[in-house]
Amino acid sequence: MNTLLKIENLHASVGEKEILRGINLEIKPGEVHAIMGPNGSGKSTLSAVLAGRETFTVTEGSVTYDGRDLLALSPEERSWAGLFLGFQYPVEIPGVSNVNFMKAAVNEQRKQRGLEPLSAAQFLKLMREKMAYVEMDSSFSGRGVNVGFSGGEKKRNEIFQMAMLEPRLAILDETDSGLDVDALRIVAGGVNKLKRPDNAFIVITHYQRLLDYIVPDVIHVLYKGRIIKTAGKELALEIEQKGYDWLIQDSE
Amino acid sequence: MVPQFITNPEGRLRIALEAGASAEYVVLQDAAAPEGETAYEISLAEGASLKMVFLSLGGRLLRNRLRVMLEGRHAECDLAGICLADDQQEMDYEILLTHEVPQCKSNQLFKNIVGGHAVTRFNGLIKVVPDAQQTEAYQANHNLLASETAKAYTQPQLEIYADDVKCSHGATIGRLNPDELFYLRSRGIPQAEARLLQQMAFCNEVLDKITSTEIREKMQERVENRLRQLGNFC
Repeated sequence: MNTLLKIENLHASVGEKEILRGINLEIKPGEVHAIMGPNGSGKSTLSAVLAGRETFTVTEGSVTYDGRDLLALSPEERSWAGLFLGFQYPVEIPGVSNVNFMKAAVNEQRKQRGLEPLSAAQFLKLMREKMAYVEMDSSFSGRGVNVGFSGGEKKRNEIFQMAMLEPRLAILDETDSGLDVDALRIVAGGVNKLKRPDNAFIVITHYQRLLDYIVPDVIHVLYKGRIIKTAGKELALEIEQKGYDWLIQDSE
Repeated sequence: MVPQFITNPEGRLRIALEAGASAEYVVLQDAAAPEGETAYEISLAEGASLKMVFLSLGGRLLRNRLRVMLEGRHAECDLAGICLADDQQEMDYEILLTHEVPQCKSNQLFKNIVGGHAVTRFNGLIKVVPDAQQTEAYQANHNLLASETAKAYTQPQLEIYADDVKCSHGATIGRLNPDELFYLRSRGIPQAEARLLQQMAFCNEVLDKITSTEIREKMQERVENRLRQLGNFC
């Protein structure tokens, strides 16, 4: 099958500091890739660069998404092309309600695909249906985006947005951080419901725990801006038991 | 009382609310007059309640001077406004609000979006006389700069001569939050629309004060159209 995402020798910096130092990664439709690694290894930087965050400068390498040069696209163009980032720290936007936010997002995606905007009734129906994916109460729709949400509610809201936008490639940046077991189960359940043969996921996590619920095809270990190990799902358990030191020693 | 809707009042306007009276005004200042200065003289008797929402959207030079006297106990005055200034526009608010007697409440919330070479000035003074105990008085002026050359001056002031009061004032000058903008864009909302959402969110705190749904929706539309018109509001 065709490659959905191909990252080649990707280097990225913030200011003078190089954070990604030559990433290579290839993802095909239907796959789930997990990226693990100690703090400061560049996991969140990689997701931010893929989503188009301007704080980072790509200094070398390329990213091809669905045959296109991903790095040439604006953040909104990446979204229209089917890329989705689940934020580690979702932003609170007072004064913009969840429902207006999602209406603007969904109708813009439709416009880009040459479709008519949804009617108010169709939209509310879609919203109710997708909120059920993550057991979100309908009272959330009228509230400001993430305003006053608990950590778990914010993460559920990310998965809800993902369900609304039905991306082809979703990058989930530490979606499990700060979640209790129930919230983790709900969030992972939402992801599993959205898995299809034609889409793919990159799951960034510190813990094996999440990977019990979202089972990856491949695990990559990122360290100092490079992937130092790629293996099957059993690697997560080994990391849980032995930590990262043995991998780091091997790589150095 | 039925909400009143005033377009570009010129010159001098005197509003005197008798005991127990209440009124709400929405004042729209658009491009109809190139230059305008309006002086409002306002007095509130016991238990009177006044709300005024100003929308300064057009005109090269707009100057609003308000003198508010809270003269009877339990009077309440709620003042709010939005300035959308662009190009060479200048918009000034000068407010002197005096708590003359105890147990009155006042609130001021003025928000400006300033682009181009425009200038806004907010100069507000709350005065609480020695006898005016148990006063509650709040004042806030928030400014969003939308260009490198825009200027917002703000001068919130309190003069309190009573000792049993709750008063606060504050001012901010800033820009649209880039983290919010990136979050909105990452969901496929184009940059210009995302900015508009952020700017409307900023303005809605004032617009939400308008009680009449019909007038509020009309005014939201006016504000949104004005923001759209000004593509360089970013």
